[in-house]
Amino acid sequence: MIEDRAALGPDDSAPEPTEDEVQRPPGPARYRWYVLAAVVVALLALPLFRPVISSYNYVLTLGALILMWVAMSSSWNILGGYAGYISLGHSVFMGVGGYVAGVLLYYHGISPFLTALLGGLAAVALGFLAGFITLRTRGPAFIISTIALLFMFLLMTDNFEYLGGAAGLPLPPLPVSQEWLRVPFYYAMLFIAIGAVLTSYRVAHSKFGMGLRAISEDETKAEVAGVPTRLYKISAFAMSAFWVGVAGAIYGYSIAFIRPTVFFTIAISAQMVLMAIIGGKGTVAGPVVGAVLIYAINEMSLVVFGATEFNIVIQGTMLVAVLLFFPLGVVGTLRKMNRLPAFLNWD
Amino acid sequence: MTNVIQVAILGLLLGGVYALMAAGLTLAFGVMRIVNLAHAAFIIASAYISFFAFEQLGIDPLLSVVFVMPIMFFFGVAVYQVLFRRIEGSAKFGEMTVLLTFGIAIMVEGLLGFVFTGIYRKAQPGYANESFIVDGLFLPEGDILFIPKGQFYASLLSIVLLVGLWAFLRYSQTGYAIRATTQNRDAAEIVGVNVRRVSAISFGLSTALAGASGALMSYLFPFFPFRHWQWVAVLLALVVLGGMGSMKGAVIGALVLGVASSFVVDQIGPTWGPMTFYLALFLILLVRPQGLFGKEVPA
Repeated sequence: MIEDRAALGPDDSAPEPTEDEVQRPPGPARYRWYVLAAVVVALLALPLFRPVISSYNYVLTLGALILMWVAMSSSWNILGGYAGYISLGHSVFMGVGGYVAGVLLYYHGISPFLTALLGGLAAVALGFLAGFITLRTRGPAFIISTIALLFMFLLMTDNFEYLGGAAGLPLPPLPVSQEWLRVPFYYAMLFIAIGAVLTSYRVAHSKFGMGLRAISEDETKAEVAGVPTRLYKISAFAMSAFWVGVAGAIYGYSIAFIRPTVFFTIAISAQMVLMAIIGGKGTVAGPVVGAVLIYAINEMSLVVFGATEFNIVIQGTMLVAVLLFFPLGVVGTLRKMNRLPAFLNWD
Repeated sequence: MTNVIQVAILGLLLGGVYALMAAGLTLAFGVMRIVNLAHAAFIIASAYISFFAFEQLGIDPLLSVVFVMPIMFFFGVAVYQVLFRRIEGSAKFGEMTVLLTFGIAIMVEGLLGFVFTGIYRKAQPGYANESFIVDGLFLPEGDILFIPKGQFYASLLSIVLLVGLWAFLRYSQTGYAIRATTQNRDAAEIVGVNVRRVSAISFGLSTALAGASGALMSYLFPFFPFRHWQWVAVLLALVVLGGMGSMKGAVIGALVLGVASSFVVDQIGPTWGPMTFYLALFLILLVRPQGLFGKEVPA
C-alpha cells in the first residue's frame, strides 16, 4: 500500500542523487584524521592517569560502558541505518555472546577474553539464521519478528537449567586485584569499539554499503538495478551482530553474573536504537555521537532524579521529539545545514 | 478426553480476550498503517484505571469498560492529532510509526512506573476465583468441566465488543468510510472521505479497544508497567500471523493460538505458553510471509 502511494508521488520520475554525493562539504579532509588519532591516543592513555583520577574504577567503568554502547549502536547502524531495516531485538546478539563466553568460563574455565570473538561468531551464526527467516518480510513485519526473536531467547534461557535458568550463572571473577580490575575490561571495550566503528566505516565505503543504502532508499529499484538484495540484507544482519556479540561476552564477564534479564530485554535494544537515531542513523559518526550523548544524559538524570523510572520517561520523550523534529539526528541535521565539523564527517 | 475438552475451553476463553486485544492493533494498521508498539502499554495504562476504580470506588472491572473506553478513545484521538498528523505523508511512514510508538511506549511505561511503581497488581472481584461447573451432558460418568467465571465473562464481553465493532464498520456511515480508507486511502480521499477525520476516529477506536482489553486484564492477568513488552510481542505475533491489517486473520489467529498455547501449557509447562506465539510467527514467516489472510507483503 505504502509503496503504491509512494509510486504516485511526483518525485518518482527523476533518479535522485544520493545525498552524500551532493552535499559532501569539501572541508579540510586531513585534520579529521588528527582529531581521530588524538581521541584514540587519549582513550588508550586514560588508564595511565591513575594518580590523577580520583575515582579511578568509576571512570574506567563509565568509559568501558560508553565504549560498549558506541560499539553496539554502530553495529546496529549497519542493518538499521544503512539498510534501513530496524531491529528492535538486537540485544539478542549481546546475550548470545554473553552466554557463549559465560558458559565456556563457567563449565570449562576458559577466559572470556579468549572466547569473546567466538561469542561474536555465534552471534553472526544466529544473525544468518534469523535473517534468513525474518528478512522474508520487510518494514513493520520485520521489526515485529525481531522482537519475537528476542522474547524467544528470553524464554529459552529462562528455562534451560544448563544456562542457569532465570537465576543465571555466577562467573568466577578475573584473578586481578580489585584496584586494577577495571583496566582489562576497559581496554577490551576500547578494542571492540574501534573494531565496530572501523567495520561500520569500511561498510559505508564499500560496494556492499552502497547496495545497502540503495535497499534503504527503494528496495525494488535496488533489486532491478542488480543489487543482490536478499544476500546483502542477510549479510548486513549477520555483520551487525558480530561486535554486539563480542561486547556481550566482555560485558557479562565484567558484571560477573549472567542471567537472562541482563541481556534479553528490549530496553537494551531500545538504547541501541535511540543512540543511533539521535546521533543520526545511516551515518558513521552518528551512533558514536548518540552513544556518548545518551549515556551522559542517562547518568545525569540518574544523578538528578535518583533511580526512579524517570530516566525512562526522558528517553521515550527524546526519541519521540527527535523523530518528529530532527529525524536525521545530530549528524544528519548538521550536515543538512552544512555545519557538520569535518571530524564528524566520515561518510 | 475430558481433559482435552477442558484445555480447549480454557484456550478458547483466552483466545477471545487475545482477539479483542489484537483487534485494536490490527485496526490501527489496517486503516492508517500504524504499527502501534504502544498498544500494550495503553492496555496496561487502562488496566491501572480499572484497577484503581475497583480498589478505591468498588466499581466492577467489567463495568469500568463504560468509562475506560471513552477515556481511551479521546486519548487516542489526541495522540493521533498531536503526533501522527505530523508524520503523515513522510517517506517510510510505516517505519516512522514503529519508532514513534516505540518512543510512546517507553514514555508510558516510564510514567506508569514513576507513578504506580513496579509492583504486581491484580483486581480481585468476587467472580475472579469462581467457576461454573459442568457435569453430565456427554461427559463420562464422574467427570466435570470447570469454566472460570472471570474468563467466561471476559470472553463474552470481548465477543460483544467485536461484534459491535464489526457492525459499526459494516453498517454505519463512518464505518463505511473507515473501510474505504483501509482499502485505498487515495481513492477514498478522491471520493470525498475526510481521511484525516477517519484516521483520528480509527485510532481512537483502536485505543478504546485497548481500554476495554485493559479493563479485562486488570482482573485476568497480573500486571506491572514493564509487562507491556511481553504482551505487545504476543499481540504483534498474532497480527503478523493473521496477516497485517486483517481483522479476520487477527481473530482467527487469536482463537487458534489461544487453544494451541493452552495445550502447550498443559503438556509442557506454563512458562512455555508464550513460545507458541513466537514459534508460530516464525513458522508462518517461513511458509507464508504475508500471514494467513494477508494479501501482500506489507511494506
